[in-house]
Amino acid sequence: MEVDDVPLDDKAKRMRDLLSSFYSPDPSMSSPSTNSSSKYATLDAINTTSFDPDQYMNLLVHKSNLEGLLQRHVEMAAEIKNLDTDLQMLVYENYNKFISATDTIKQMKSNIVGMEANMEQLLEKIMSVQSRSDGVNTSLFEKREHIEKLHRTRNLLRKLQFIYDLPARLGKCIKSEAYADAVKFYTGAMPIFKAYGDSSFQDCKRASEEAVAVIIKNLQGKLFSDSESIQARAEAAVLLKQLDFPVDSLKVKLLEKLEQSVADLQLNVEEVSNASVDSNHPSTDSSPATAHEISVREFAEAIRIVSHLLGVLRIIWKDVLLLEDVLPEAALPDYSLEAAQAAVKLYVTNKFSHLQSKISDALTKAHIRQKDSGDDYSLQVALEGGKKAVLQGSMNVLLDFRQLLDDDLGLLVKLRDSIIDWVQEGFQEFFGALDGHFLLLSGRHNSASQDQGLTKGILDDKVLAGLVLVLAQISLFIEQNSIPRITEASSQLIQLWFLILNKYQYYVMNMGLPLFLEKSVGFSGQLCEKFLHLYIKMTTQRISILQKRKFTATNWVKHKEPREVNMFVDFFLHELEAIRSEVKQILPEGLRRHRRADSTGSTASSRSNPLREEKLSRSNTQRARSQLLETHLAKLFKQKVEIFTKVDFTQESVLTTVVKLCLKSLQEFVRLQTFNRSGFQQIQLDIQFLRTPLKELAEDEAAIDFLLDEVVVAAAERCLDPTPLEPPILDRLIQAKLAKTREQNPISP
Amino acid sequence: MQGGSSGIGYGLKYQARCISDVKADTDHTSFITGTLSLKEENEVHLIRLSSDGTELVCEGLFSHPNEIWDLSSCPFDQRIFSTVYSTGESYGAAIWQIPELYGELNSPQLEKITTLDSHVGKIKSIIWWPSGRHDKLISIDEQYISLWSLDFSKKAAQVQSQESAGLVAQSGGAWDPHDMNAVAVTCESSIQFWDLRTMKKTNSIEHAHVRNVDYNPKKTHILMTAEDESGIRIWDLRKPKVPIQELAGHTHWTWAVRCNPEYDELILSSGTDSTVNLWFTSASSNNESMSESLVESPTRRSDPLLHSYSDYEDSIYGLAWSSREPWIFASLSYDGRVVVESVKPFLSRK
Repeated sequence: MEVDDVPLDDKAKRMRDLLSSFYSPDPSMSSPSTNSSSKYATLDAINTTSFDPDQYMNLLVHKSNLEGLLQRHVEMAAEIKNLDTDLQMLVYENYNKFISATDTIKQMKSNIVGMEANMEQLLEKIMSVQSRSDGVNTSLFEKREHIEKLHRTRNLLRKLQFIYDLPARLGKCIKSEAYADAVKFYTGAMPIFKAYGDSSFQDCKRASEEAVAVIIKNLQGKLFSDSESIQARAEAAVLLKQLDFPVDSLKVKLLEKLEQSVADLQLNVEEVSNASVDSNHPSTDSSPATAHEISVREFAEAIRIVSHLLGVLRIIWKDVLLLEDVLPEAALPDYSLEAAQAAVKLYVTNKFSHLQSKISDALTKAHIRQKDSGDDYSLQVALEGGKKAVLQGSMNVLLDFRQLLDDDLGLLVKLRDSIIDWVQEGFQEFFGALDGHFLLLSGRHNSASQDQGLTKGILDDKVLAGLVLVLAQISLFIEQNSIPRITEASSQLIQLWFLILNKYQYYVMNMGLPLFLEKSVGFSGQLCEKFLHLYIKMTTQRISILQKRKFTATNWVKHKEPREVNMFVDFFLHELEAIRSEVKQILPEGLRRHRRADSTGSTASSRSNPLREEKLSRSNTQRARSQLLETHLAKLFKQKVEIFTKVDFTQESVLTTVVKLCLKSLQEFVRLQTFNRSGFQQIQLDIQFLRTPLKELAEDEAAIDFLLDEVVVAAAERCLDPTPLEPPILDRLIQAKLAKTREQNPISP
Repeated sequence: MQGGSSGIGYGLKYQARCISDVKADTDHTSFITGTLSLKEENEVHLIRLSSDGTELVCEGLFSHPNEIWDLSSCPFDQRIFSTVYSTGESYGAAIWQIPELYGELNSPQLEKITTLDSHVGKIKSIIWWPSGRHDKLISIDEQYISLWSLDFSKKAAQVQSQESAGLVAQSGGAWDPHDMNAVAVTCESSIQFWDLRTMKKTNSIEHAHVRNVDYNPKKTHILMTAEDESGIRIWDLRKPKVPIQELAGHTHWTWAVRCNPEYDELILSSGTDSTVNLWFTSASSNNESMSESLVESPTRRSDPLLHSYSDYEDSIYGLAWSSREPWIFASLSYDGRVVVESVKPFLSRK
């Protein structure tokens, strides 16, 4: 009904509820929410079934004054009027529908009346059609029978003619040396000779047998004469076999020859697989000094092996083709295809495992060297080594495969699809294995360092964290550079194949390629992020242990007045500096949002200082009572600062994330303590001192400011007497600290 | 109910850390929570979810003398609960009873049944045996673990046995719901397991920075831990060397972890990154037939994180499932906001 579709104002809503309660016997159906306004609170009963007008009247008179009563009267009159009109509307609508329904029914009735007569007529007509068709069928039956008989006779006569002509035809064939045709004719007539050869076709049979004997003799001669081509000989053998000639003796001779060829083939296959296995040997015992030389040798060898493989395959295939012609039953191509498949597959997998071991070698070698020397550049060396290994290795592999695929040798053409599959599978497995291997590298050392003592563990952790960072960067590198390049190369290959493959296969490839790309790229994207997070986690853990020690060891409730910036701040900054130098080696520099360039940022930072001062001084005077409320309000009005944002692959982003996490941890540690005034002031001093260097390190000034403020606020909340230090004193203490650090290492600013 | 802000909120006046499900109240879904304010008068709120599940009603408001660091409701008497409190300098613990006539909300006094003193160090937490009536209590302070026997009629509690764990800085623990003689205690560098009959350590998981620990209420030997850096780990106590499963946890510290009392595949965690995460894990139940699990799905291996509730302003320290309606949980952020949410919409999606 239309009432449902229109957005309702209050009154109409109430009206509808009244109506619906009228229509439905259950009073609970009417929604209670509409009557909830206090005005009707006492008068709710008017809408229920158990409504008592007298009682209602009494209640109304009792409760309200004259004015109210009058007003109520007017309201009620209006309501009643509205209800009446609504009711009328409803009745009218329903009546309308009823009328139209009646009309429809009437129409239907009138339509049905003539129907039965029509149906009967139809039935009659169908019957007459059927009887006529029966009549036609019977009258034509005899003639059809006759025609069929004639046709059969004609066929028989044709066959007879063929058999009588057979000897002459065979003679003709012998003359023209078309033995294949002759054999075909003879074998075709064979069944008839078998059935009637002794009676009516005796002459015929004898004549054809004589002709066939001549043919057999000729064929035998052909088979054993060495001058004939192999193909001709094979044909002869086949024909002989068709003529039921005992070919056993021939077979023995032929098989001997075949056996020899198959042995050759196997020998070749073994040789190939041996060669490809050999190619992996050098990688296992390579020493860093001759690594380059070896890699050059390996490359040359790999190419040699590919061409070798190709050569061998070519020879084999040629032989196999010949053999197939001679003896199709031996199914030699199938066997050889299998053998070649195995060889190529072995080759592909070897190639990939070789590549993987090469990459991990590069990494671990660097790692070991790093442990020995503690050299700063070793991280970079490891990174470069890893990158080079990944890219060059995979390019080499692809080159090899390309060579394999460009060749249009019949065997390889057949194998092409499977080779593509193997290469794709190989790459996927390769990246998967790399993933696992990287995780192993990071994970194993992780547990190992946990086993060691804490003092030693920190040192090892540092090295390890560096390695994790290298891994993260390599994963990123794989994602950004090598996979596109590899897929580019393989897509070139695929385009090449497109020219050869037919349309059907083209579609298959089309569907397969994106899937492959998605899989390999998706994997690496996750991996590098995983490593980056691992790195951040490890570094923040190191710092938070420091913080925890500091906070649990200090008795904050009985803290003495702050005299200088706490030592732990130095530790903290030192750690951050170490992380910065580590990150600097590996990760690229991000686009630093320059303070001057960013206009909104600059206004915010210039304003933030006085604001903060103001807040601190205010909390000084007003003290704790309103403080919580105030900070809550401040938080409401302040734009919610996103603390935990996504980490990018830049120095700044990583460093900022580490700083943020550490400050958040600091806040949590503070919240677990209770401070006296001096304790709070100490925190205030430390945080104030941290402000400048942290902002220099990290890029998100607003968030850092926010977090530092949060730490101070948390300390104030947990303080019995949060009176902050006077700004001049604060300033003096910080200046003293700065002077002291300048004294200790005069080079750094 | 859709989107992130589907929860029902309730505001406390001050900051707060702890919330507990009132398990003994079988007629209503109620929670009890206490504030943490150093300088103001602290309050204990008894909150009830209205029968249509749309409102949180304050059922009782009582003043508490000190700031509350830990609070847990007695699992067999809805009017009894324990608190761990601090005066700023010293720590204490007590058992309280809500007075019978608390219908009029004019801040009636809590009846203190008894205090649990005789602690040497900072008391950290009081644990009731979660699976039923048991007249014992465990208190954990920084150094000692104590077993108390409780006598309600005499309103007294006595230390039955006490043992020092050494200088390991204990921070909390959990009582095995399957075995009333086994307790897990979190320390600075490990989780230690005690046998209460002999008061000896029986086992330990050497693992640092554990914040919180919870037993799987349905399966024995399964335990989950929340850690600062490494998220959530699930352990099988028969193989304490390596966890069965690891979940990512939170961006910052994972503060609390709770296993659902009915559907033990559901794990809830809260963190200092102001989010509550709902996890679905099948690892804790893989020694049983899969057909029993609550959610059947071919993609169960994909992402264990079902949903992340992020509509909070501050770190979330308090977290509790309702044992009466196990699809409902309450979370408490540090700014004193209780949010009750249902996990149903995220289950039906799988």
